Amino acid sequence: MKKYIPVLLAASLFISSCDDFLTVVPETQLSSATFFKNQKDFEQAVNAAYVPLRTIVNDRAWLLGEMHSDNTYYARNVLFGATDNQEDLADFSVPESNGTTANVHVLNQWRQDYLIIARANQILALIDDVDFDAAAKANVKGQALFLRAYAYFELARYFGKVPLHLTPVASREEAALPLSEEAEIYAQIISDLNAAIPLLLDKSKQEPGRVTEGAARTLLANVYINLKRWSDAEQVLTPVITSGKYSLMSSYAMAFSDNAANKNNAESVFEVQFQEGAAGLQGNFTYQWLPRPISAAELQPLMGTSNPQPQDGEGNNIPTPDIIAAYEPGDLRKDASIGYVFLSGAFQVPKTLPYILKFFKKHSQHNNHGQNFPIYRYAEVLLFMAEALNEQGKTGQAIPYLNQVRTRAGLAATTATGQAGVREAIFKERRVELAFENKRWFDIQRTDRIQEIIIPHGNRIKANPQAYYYPPLPGAVPRSNAFTNLNKFYAYPADESNLSPYF
Amino acid sequence: MNNHYLSKIKTRFFGFLLIMLCLSIVSFGQTQSVRGVVKSGPDNEPVPGALVLIKGTQKGTVTDIDGAFTIDASPGEILVISFVGYATKEVAVVAGQTNVNVSLDLSTSDLSEVVVVGYGSQIKKEVTGAIQTVNEAELKDLPVSSVAQKLQGRLAGVQINQTTGKPGQGMSVRIRGQLSVSGGSDPLYVVDGFPITGDINQINPDEIADISVLKDAASTSLYGSRAANGVVLITTKKGKVGQTNVNLNVWTGFQNVPEKGRLEMMNAEEFAQFKKEYYEDAKQTVPEVFQNPAQYRDKNNDWYDAMLVNGAPITSYNLTVTSNKERVNTAVIAGVFDQKGVVVNTDYQRYSLRMNTDYQVSDKINIGVNIAPQYVYDNTPRTDGTRGTGILFNALHTWPVMPIYDEQGELTFFNRFPANTGNIFAYPNWVRSAQEITNETKRTNVLANTYAEWRPIKGLSFKSTFNVEISNSRFFSFNPSTATSAINVAIPTVAVSVRDDISSLSWLNENIATYRKSINDHAFEVLLGFSNQQFRTDRTRIQADTYADDRLPTIQGAINVNRGGTFTDVGEWTLTSVFSRLNYNYKGKYLLTASVRTDGSSRFGSENRWGVFPSTSVGWVMSDEGFLQNNSTISFAKVRASFGVTGNNNIGNYTQYALVNNTINAVFGNNVVSGAGVTSLQNTNLGWETTSQFDLGFDLGFLDDRIQFTYDYYTKNTTNLLYAVQIPQESGFTNFNDNIGEIKFWGHEFAINAIPVTGQFSWTINANLSINRNEVLSLADGIDRVYGSWHITQVGQPFGQFYGLQKLGNYANAEDLANSPKIPGRSTVGSIKLKDVNGDGVITFGGDNDDRTIIGNPFPDFIYGLVNNFKFKNFDASITASGSQGNELYMRHLFSTANLDGVFNMVRRAKDRFRSPENPGEGIFGTTVGGGNVTGIERDWPNSNFVWDASYFTIRNITVGYTFTKLPKSVKSARLYMSGQNMWVFTKYWGGSNPEVSMQNNGQGDGGNLSPGVDLGPYPVPRTITFGANITF
Repeated sequence: MKKYIPVLLAASLFISSCDDFLTVVPETQLSSATFFKNQKDFEQAVNAAYVPLRTIVNDRAWLLGEMHSDNTYYARNVLFGATDNQEDLADFSVPESNGTTANVHVLNQWRQDYLIIARANQILALIDDVDFDAAAKANVKGQALFLRAYAYFELARYFGKVPLHLTPVASREEAALPLSEEAEIYAQIISDLNAAIPLLLDKSKQEPGRVTEGAARTLLANVYINLKRWSDAEQVLTPVITSGKYSLMSSYAMAFSDNAANKNNAESVFEVQFQEGAAGLQGNFTYQWLPRPISAAELQPLMGTSNPQPQDGEGNNIPTPDIIAAYEPGDLRKDASIGYVFLSGAFQVPKTLPYILKFFKKHSQHNNHGQNFPIYRYAEVLLFMAEALNEQGKTGQAIPYLNQVRTRAGLAATTATGQAGVREAIFKERRVELAFENKRWFDIQRTDRIQEIIIPHGNRIKANPQAYYYPPLPGAVPRSNAFTNLNKFYAYPADESNLSPYF
Repeated sequence: MNNHYLSKIKTRFFGFLLIMLCLSIVSFGQTQSVRGVVKSGPDNEPVPGALVLIKGTQKGTVTDIDGAFTIDASPGEILVISFVGYATKEVAVVAGQTNVNVSLDLSTSDLSEVVVVGYGSQIKKEVTGAIQTVNEAELKDLPVSSVAQKLQGRLAGVQINQTTGKPGQGMSVRIRGQLSVSGGSDPLYVVDGFPITGDINQINPDEIADISVLKDAASTSLYGSRAANGVVLITTKKGKVGQTNVNLNVWTGFQNVPEKGRLEMMNAEEFAQFKKEYYEDAKQTVPEVFQNPAQYRDKNNDWYDAMLVNGAPITSYNLTVTSNKERVNTAVIAGVFDQKGVVVNTDYQRYSLRMNTDYQVSDKINIGVNIAPQYVYDNTPRTDGTRGTGILFNALHTWPVMPIYDEQGELTFFNRFPANTGNIFAYPNWVRSAQEITNETKRTNVLANTYAEWRPIKGLSFKSTFNVEISNSRFFSFNPSTATSAINVAIPTVAVSVRDDISSLSWLNENIATYRKSINDHAFEVLLGFSNQQFRTDRTRIQADTYADDRLPTIQGAINVNRGGTFTDVGEWTLTSVFSRLNYNYKGKYLLTASVRTDGSSRFGSENRWGVFPSTSVGWVMSDEGFLQNNSTISFAKVRASFGVTGNNNIGNYTQYALVNNTINAVFGNNVVSGAGVTSLQNTNLGWETTSQFDLGFDLGFLDDRIQFTYDYYTKNTTNLLYAVQIPQESGFTNFNDNIGEIKFWGHEFAINAIPVTGQFSWTINANLSINRNEVLSLADGIDRVYGSWHITQVGQPFGQFYGLQKLGNYANAEDLANSPKIPGRSTVGSIKLKDVNGDGVITFGGDNDDRTIIGNPFPDFIYGLVNNFKFKNFDASITASGSQGNELYMRHLFSTANLDGVFNMVRRAKDRFRSPENPGEGIFGTTVGGGNVTGIERDWPNSNFVWDASYFTIRNITVGYTFTKLPKSVKSARLYMSGQNMWVFTKYWGGSNPEVSMQNNGQGDGGNLSPGVDLGPYPVPRTITFGANITF
């Protein structure tokens, strides 16, 4: 029997050490079991909640909010046909079936908004149970609430009823929720923002680029305006104006961030932050907005890079003749906003096409730039205030706010009078002041002017395709389904609908 | 890593060894010297190399060149004389008799052969599982680098495809059609008892003595949670008893890609003609360069051909020294393999050494060490991949009017035609890309096995093993500013370097007790064991770009370090197992085997850590029964049945955990801050994939086993498939890793071995045919289908079916267009006419009114193999062939190589496209008129125009050899041979030269397990002709 002792000994050792031996945790990644334990963890978590905004403004918002309006269009390159997803948005021909669409931009907008929401929910669910500095905690919480509200506000405007996730999803079963009524979504947005306002720091104290009390107030005002709760809008906005923390930049062009400088300036209420370089924080939205095909030599003066590369494909987000015509004579914003470039390879006649100059900033490396993208500027705060006042019948109080914006643009005071006249003046002012900032579709939508504006816009394109950048070639005309889907909301993304039992 | 644990294991192991050494006893007996000569019965010629063993011992010798032997034996002991191809003979030693002459009879039976099975070996006759073996002799002569290539066509039920011709890569081995949805589907490879983690195809095939392929669950279940994909046991060489041999095997030759079978693309003149017609048909001005296509008649640029090397050399040297004398059995195999590829700048070299030593310390104790270090150098251009990533694909569709060489005869850098010619992409020179881009891997591996075995009493054995596999792989790629593998990248471009170093260590300790006992007619064998295995890999990847000087691709020479491409990574798993097996037989004719293994794995969720894998099998040797015993036709008959459960633990190392990514960085102003987010959902119940398999088979021998026939039917159900179940992203997550679904697999395997002719001219045939089927029985709750870009996996269907729109033809004329369902705004006369599957009058791709349907099946109706061996006097010849019937391929490259917009060069067949109702072409390709809005349908919407039959019959190998008989004393044997590999492929497939092609990616995505049979025009498989010499001293 003695002989077998080593075997038995080995067997017993083996059994006792099993559990340790079989527990292997990932070494190069953190896991949820060990995260969300301290202030730094939550600060990192809220930083990550901002990140989807970069993708949204770089790749989606201009497709859904600007090219899907009368401000910009695409410029056809006959050699490329497979760009349905963009064209469908510009052409108001997003295909729908049973309330869903396969449009990839609609899908990605949805997903990025919910990514913000999931990251914010993770913070909000856990932060109260972890003990750390109260001021730091309030700031993190305020930012998370703001970001969740912002994402839901986007969703509510794009889709109407959407699923309302307020706690982190922990299992497969919790992944899908029923659609909540718009009113319920808005109630949540308002409650989140009302909670965020006292928690957030004001602009002078907050790290530049993060959301502030002023940003939360402006967002809430925007929400109220969308809901036509004019006096609430006025009330929440007043401290932003009276705080003295914001002012218009001396020139319109200066309102927009440069590649590296002039970021988060006095006019900036909230802007999405980018940084040029190899760290993955860069934008390339101006490259997506180029008229094409453009040669390296033609591109270089626009971008100032050392390594320009020729760009092929369809041009997107090209200013329409309508927006160009919308600037009043003498409006300094026109030349600051729109530039022209000659494309030797263009199929269009003439070969000179407009582009969105106001966001084109010089940078060093091709397809990699660092200018921020505005979400709210003080100019819009003023226009919000003007609108909120005018809609309450306080037209006289409204006009000075409107004129502040006009004055900076080199224009005389408005000649509009009466509530309806001033309403129209504000609407027009918003179009040119906020051109290419992805506001136009929302403005048309919330003022119920889709039919009134988009149908004539479509007719103009169909009547004269070449004025809208179709090349003078056989077959280069708007597709037969152009301007057939003028719905207020986008259909739900099909890929999400396939996975959800609720829509 | 848990070093503490490793050291504990080591201590325990060496302690065990020491005790066993101390307990050794040496015994002696009375012996006499016996001499004899072994001759062959039919021709009375001496048999050199026959094995003479004393029954029940390890003592023995081997006959010399004259068939003579001498052995010390005691009276009453029995000499067992055996030689391949002859029936084994037993002769008793009689006291005083010193001379024994033995005449061996030819045998056609190999039933007395010993077969390597999991954790041991068995007499073939008593095997109850479905096992197929291949020995060294069957594998020799094939001029290829890897084992899997050598096995093609030889195994029933095993589909082995060479999906790319990159040296040392791309072998897909699927046993009984087994597939995981997203886990690994490769079999478990066990080398000398050690389940390896590295790539089996890097092992020098000359080191291998035999291979056992375990197919059914009864054979594999002792490998538990890793056995579901089947198990391949590889045993390396040992010395032959009593002999010392020095063998030199050298072969060398060259490789080519035959013209026939290549994808036929337009030449320069044809392409110019196409472009001319394109503009004419569209009623546009023909660009000047295409107005006169004849000007290109003698100026063709065959970009694909320029990528290839004619007569690329391939050479192999192997020196094998074996010796088995005086308690020491040694084999040393040194190999050098050097292959230049058939694509420019491909280089594959392997230097390998193996030293196997067994030492019989005493009659009761054996110890042994195998150690096999190896170095592999591999430089392969980035040949494979889709448009814009794989340079062969890029070369295929580069305009043939673009010059490869400039007027000075130098390679051009970059070609671009004016925009008005429709040239929207600029093409770098792909030959330059192949030559100038470094893409090399240097691998060092060491595989080591050690064991000690102690047999304290008769029938009882304790064996302890410790195995280690160390590997280090250093990948380096450098893309200088003068070359790129991507399309439309201007030269000079941004120089990029990547360094990717992966080192891994795997160790395994196994402790096994075996007890054999026969009581009257009852024979038992019981096995008990436990084991621990740990694997860890450490990876460091550094990607840097923007170099001031291409000559210095150092990290410090780069201006940027790419953060996304620079990281460290650790992968680790552990496995603890307890296993046991009982073999029982009554009179050697009623056979029973039962086994069970319990595996605990770090990969399984904390709530589901241990898996139990039982199996049982029975067999009945009917030919041993009275009613068959004297049957003159049926010489052998056995029926087998088995059932068992196995697992697949290839589910990823950390899949169960909710991971936090802390590199979701943000910037505020100019201040970069780190960000963190939860990126996956936790699943504490995550476990292995479970396969339950039933096998029923029989083995028959006719005419003294001259014809042997084996049949197996199997049916198995795989459940709990690892799957990243897509969840709505409103959750913030893309998927949930879960065990879901059920797939049923079933099939039939037929194998026949026959010897139609014996004697001076002999002929043997080995043929097999397999039918493998599968059906998806369920997927996850609420999910009945999974879409790929070109595939669907749907409940009620086999997985990975081609999916898209069904092509009916092209709209023949205005009337046809008017009366047929169409795509609003896009369909025109001559454009692709698709089937309105849902009957709503409109052709729709995707969404709720989807008209897509299953359009093809990548799986064959059956696969088959055929090996013929011939011998005439000193000549020998063999022909190996294999085939596949009824499988289809998705000719994915057509999305570029038949892009009707003339953006790329096109397949020659596109000449015969639709041009007008009067000139409709052969119906494959539609009109070019209307641009992307029209042509994009055919190109961008997966449809049956991409799906083509890819049945094939391939003559894998033909070898002819001559064995010399008149040899100097010092030479034991010598043979010269000539071998041709991949001689002819017979197929109707026209999309490229390799009908076995498939994109090879891991996981759920395109090219993964659910997406087989996609042709992107990868590295071609060459035809190889070699000459070899095999000399034994």
